[in-house]
Amino acid sequence: MEIAFQFFVASLFVLPFAAVAAQRSRMARAVVTTAFFVVLVAGAIVAARGFWAGEAAVWDLSAFAPFPFALALDRLSAFFLLLICVVAAPVTLFSGPYVERHYGGAPRTWLWALLPLFLGSMVVVVTASTAFAFLFGWELITLFSAGLILVDGDSDERRHNLFIYLLMMHAGAAAVVAAFLLFLPGAPGLGFGAMRAAGSAMSPVMKNALFLLAFIGFGAKAGLIPLHLWLPRAHPMAPSPVSALMSGVMLKTAIYGFVRITFDLLGGGPPWWGYVVLAAGAVSGVLGVLYAIAEHDLKRLLAYHSVENIGIIYLGLGAALLFLAHGAPTWATLALLGALLHTLNHALFKSLLFLGAGAIGHSTHTLDIEELGGLQKLMPVTGAAFLIGCCSIVGLPLFNGFVSEWMIFRSFLAGSTLADPASVLLPMMTGVLALIGGLAAACFAKVYGVAFLGRPRSAEAEHAVEVPLPMRGAMAILAAFCVVIGVAPAIVLNPLAAAIQTFVPGTPLLHEQLRFAHVLPWIAVAVAALMLLTMFARTAVRLTATWACGLPKLDSRMQYTSTAFSKPLRTVFAQVYRPTRVVEVTPAGETYFPTAISYRSARTTSYERLLYRPALNVIVAGAHILRRLQTGNIQIYLLYIFLALLALMLGMRFA
Amino acid sequence: MTAAISILQALLLIVAAPLVRGTIARLKAILQNRRGASVWRPYADLLKLLRKEDLVPTTASPVFRVAPRAVFAATVAAVLFVPVLHAAAALSLAGDFIILVYLLALARFFLMLGAMDGGSSFGGMGASREALVSTLAEAPFLLSITAVAIVAREMSLSGIARWSLAQDPSRISAVHVLAFAALALVAIAETGRIPVDNPTTHLELTMIHEAMVLEYSGPSLAWIEWASSVKLSLVLALLVALFMPWGMMASPSALGMALAIAAFLLKFVLLAAVVAVGESSIAKLRMYLVPDFLGVASALAILAVVFTAVMR
Repeated sequence: MEIAFQFFVASLFVLPFAAVAAQRSRMARAVVTTAFFVVLVAGAIVAARGFWAGEAAVWDLSAFAPFPFALALDRLSAFFLLLICVVAAPVTLFSGPYVERHYGGAPRTWLWALLPLFLGSMVVVVTASTAFAFLFGWELITLFSAGLILVDGDSDERRHNLFIYLLMMHAGAAAVVAAFLLFLPGAPGLGFGAMRAAGSAMSPVMKNALFLLAFIGFGAKAGLIPLHLWLPRAHPMAPSPVSALMSGVMLKTAIYGFVRITFDLLGGGPPWWGYVVLAAGAVSGVLGVLYAIAEHDLKRLLAYHSVENIGIIYLGLGAALLFLAHGAPTWATLALLGALLHTLNHALFKSLLFLGAGAIGHSTHTLDIEELGGLQKLMPVTGAAFLIGCCSIVGLPLFNGFVSEWMIFRSFLAGSTLADPASVLLPMMTGVLALIGGLAAACFAKVYGVAFLGRPRSAEAEHAVEVPLPMRGAMAILAAFCVVIGVAPAIVLNPLAAAIQTFVPGTPLLHEQLRFAHVLPWIAVAVAALMLLTMFARTAVRLTATWACGLPKLDSRMQYTSTAFSKPLRTVFAQVYRPTRVVEVTPAGETYFPTAISYRSARTTSYERLLYRPALNVIVAGAHILRRLQTGNIQIYLLYIFLALLALMLGMRFA
Repeated sequence: MTAAISILQALLLIVAAPLVRGTIARLKAILQNRRGASVWRPYADLLKLLRKEDLVPTTASPVFRVAPRAVFAATVAAVLFVPVLHAAAALSLAGDFIILVYLLALARFFLMLGAMDGGSSFGGMGASREALVSTLAEAPFLLSITAVAIVAREMSLSGIARWSLAQDPSRISAVHVLAFAALALVAIAETGRIPVDNPTTHLELTMIHEAMVLEYSGPSLAWIEWASSVKLSLVLALLVALFMPWGMMASPSALGMALAIAAFLLKFVLLAAVVAVGESSIAKLRMYLVPDFLGVASALAILAVVFTAVMR
C-alpha cells in the first residue's frame, strides 16, 4: 500500500519527462498516454483501498526539503484522491484522440507534460499532512492550470482573463497562507497532527480570524460569489479536457481545504460560522444558476453551473457547522455526508458534461448552442451520456445529484429541532435548494433540448459525426458512475460516513438516515419496470412530418432558440441581469417603415463596477500615499533605517 | 395485510385517476349548463389512444418515444409515497416528500425534452413556459409540506397523516391554514388547471401543457394523459393526507376499509367540485401574472415555516 502510494505520486511527476521525450513519434505518445491512464487507475485503486478499507499510507520527504514536507493518506484524503483519479482517468482516455486531433507540435507536448503535473499538484494538496506540503501543492495548482490555459493561445483578451485568474488565485492563496501561519504559535512544525491539538486550544478570537481567512481563501478557489469572477473567464478558455479537470477536480481541492481546516483542525466553531457559510452557499447557488440560464455558450454555461454546485456544497457545509455549534453531531454528519457526496457527484457529472462539450466542439466546431440541434440522432452515445449528465446535475431521482441533494434537504429538515433562529432558518433553506433545483432543471432542459433534440440549426450540426471510441468510452464510464451512485448510493455512503466519523466524533448515523439508500433501488426497479413495460408494449410506429400549421414544411429557424426558451425566466428575474439593450432603426426616426433594425443586448454583471472597482480604487489611492515615502533622497532613507533600528531595539527591550 | 392495503391504495389512485378528471369535466359541464360527456369518458379516450399507432416526427430522436413512458413511470412511482386508505404508504421514510416532489420533477423534465424533440415552435414554447411555472412552484411545494412536517414532528408523509389523524379536527393551527393555502395554489400550478393553465385550451397563445403534447399521438399521448391524470389525483391525495386525513383506517378491518374508501370518494368528489366551481368562475391568468400567483404561494409557505417557531 505504502509503496503503491509513493510510486503513484512519484510517477505523476516523472510522466512529464516521458511526454517530452516521446513528442516526436505517434507510437511513443500513445505509449505515454496509456502509461498515464494506467498510473491514474493505479491511483484510483490505492485511493479505493484507503477509502473502503481504511488503509493508511505515509510518505515523509522532510529529509529532502528545507521544511517539514510529508504526505499521508487518511480516509478523508483517500476520498478526495479517489475523486481526482476517478475523474482524471476517463479524462485522460478522452484526451488521447482529442489532443491528437486538435493540437500539434509544442502545444501538444506542453499539454501532455502539464496534465500530470497539474494532477500531481492536486494530489499533493489532498494528501499533504504538513502545511508546507499543502501550500506547495496549492501554488503549483494555480501555475500549472494557468499553463494549461495558455496552451490554447495567448491573445490579448486571453491574457487579460488569465491575469484576473492568477491575481484572484494568489489573493486567495495569501489568505490561505495567513490562515496556516496563525497555527504557528501552537504548532511550530505545522504538521496537521500538531495543528489539530493547537486548534482546539486556540482562543476564540484567533479561531474566528482563522475561519474568516480560510473562508475567503478557499472561497476564492471554489468560486463563491462574489469571488467567482475568474471562473466563467478561465474555465471556458481552457481545452475541454482541462476544463473538465478544472471544474470537476480543481474546485474540489478548495472544498477539501475548507473541510480540513474548519472541521478537522478547528473542530467547528460558533453558530455564526454556519450562517456565513449558508448565506454564501445560498447566494452562489441561486445567482450561479440564474447567470447560467442566460448563457448560450456551452462552456460558459457549465462554468456558471460550477458556481451553483459549489453553492449547494456550501449549503451542506453551513448546515453541518450549525449542527456542530448546537451540539448535534449526528445531523452534522448527515449534512457533511451530503456536502462531500455532492463534491464527488459534481466532479463526476460536471467533468462528464465538459467532456460532452468537448465532443460537441470536436464534431461541430462550435459551442454556441444556438448553432446546434438534432445531435442526439447523429451522436447517440455522446447524447445519451450527456443526457445522464444533465439529469444528474439537475438532481433528478435515480441519478447521483439527487442523492447528495436529498441528504442536504434532510439535514435542513432536521434543523427544526435546534434552538431558535436556526430552527426556522435551516428549514427555510429547503426553499432555496428547491429553487436552485427548479432553475437548474429549466437550464438543462434548454441545453439538452436545444443542442441535442429537434432539427439542426447549422450546417456543422447537420454534418456532425460521432466521436472516436476512447472519447465515447470516457463519457460512458463517467455516466455509469453517475447512475450507479444514483441508484445504489450505499456503496459510497457507508465508507464516507466512516471518513467523517474520524473528525466529527459523535454517534454513528441512525439507521433511519441511511434507509434512504435502501429505498432508492426499489424506486429504480419500479421506474425501470414500468418503462420497459410501456416501452415494449406492442405499438405500431409511423414516421411523419411535424405538424406545420398547414405550411409546406418547417425549417430549423422555426424552432424555439435557447434565448427564446430562457426569456420568461429572464423576464421574471430581470433585476438580477439588468441588461443594456440598444435598438437602432435605419433610417433614424422612421419608426413605422424602417429598412433595417438592429438589436443588441448585453449583460454585465455588476460585480466589477460595484465591488471590485471601488476596492481597486482604494488600493491605488493607498499606493499613491505610500509613494510619498519614496523621496529619492539618501538622507531620508538613512533616517528610515535609523528609525527602524530604534523601533526594533525598543520592541526587543519592552516586548 | 398492511402491505397489501398500501399496494391497493396506490393502484386505486392510479386506476381511478382518469375518473377524477372525468368527474371534474362532468361537474364543469353541469355548472355551465351543458350536458357534458360521461364521467367514464377519459377511460374510453385512453383505450382508443392505446389502440392507435404512434406518429413520430421524422426529425425526432429516440427521446421522443422514451419521454412519455418516463413521464408515466416517474409519476406512478411518486404515488407509492402517498397514504390514501390508511396512514401508511407503500414506501415511507423520513424526508420521503422530497423524493415525491423530485420524481414529479423527473417526469416534467422528460416531458419538456419530449416537447422539444418535435422540432416545431409549439413544443419549445410549451416547454419554456412549463419551465417558468415549475421552477417557481417547486420552492413553495417543498416549503409548505416542510412547515406541516415541523409541526407534526414527523418527516414522512405517512407519519404526518398519522399525526393529523390523532389531532382534534376543530383546532386548526395557523401553520396549517397557511400551508394549505400555499399547497393549494401550488397544486393548481403543478397540475396545469385554471387560472395557471387551461387543460381544455387549444389556442396556441395561451397553452402550456397542451403545447408540449401537441406533437404526440396514439399510445405516447395515452401515457402522457394518464400520467397527468395520476398527477392530479396524487396532488389531491397529498392535500387530503396532510390536511384532512380523517376517515383513514387506523387498523386493517373490513369495516375500516369500507369507511376509508367511502371517505376517499367523498373527499375526492368534494375536491373535484371545488375545482369545477373554481374553474367555472375565474378566468385564466396572463402568463406573466403566474409568477405573482406563485409568489403569493411562496410568501404563504415562508410564513407557514416562520409560524412553526410560534407553535413550539
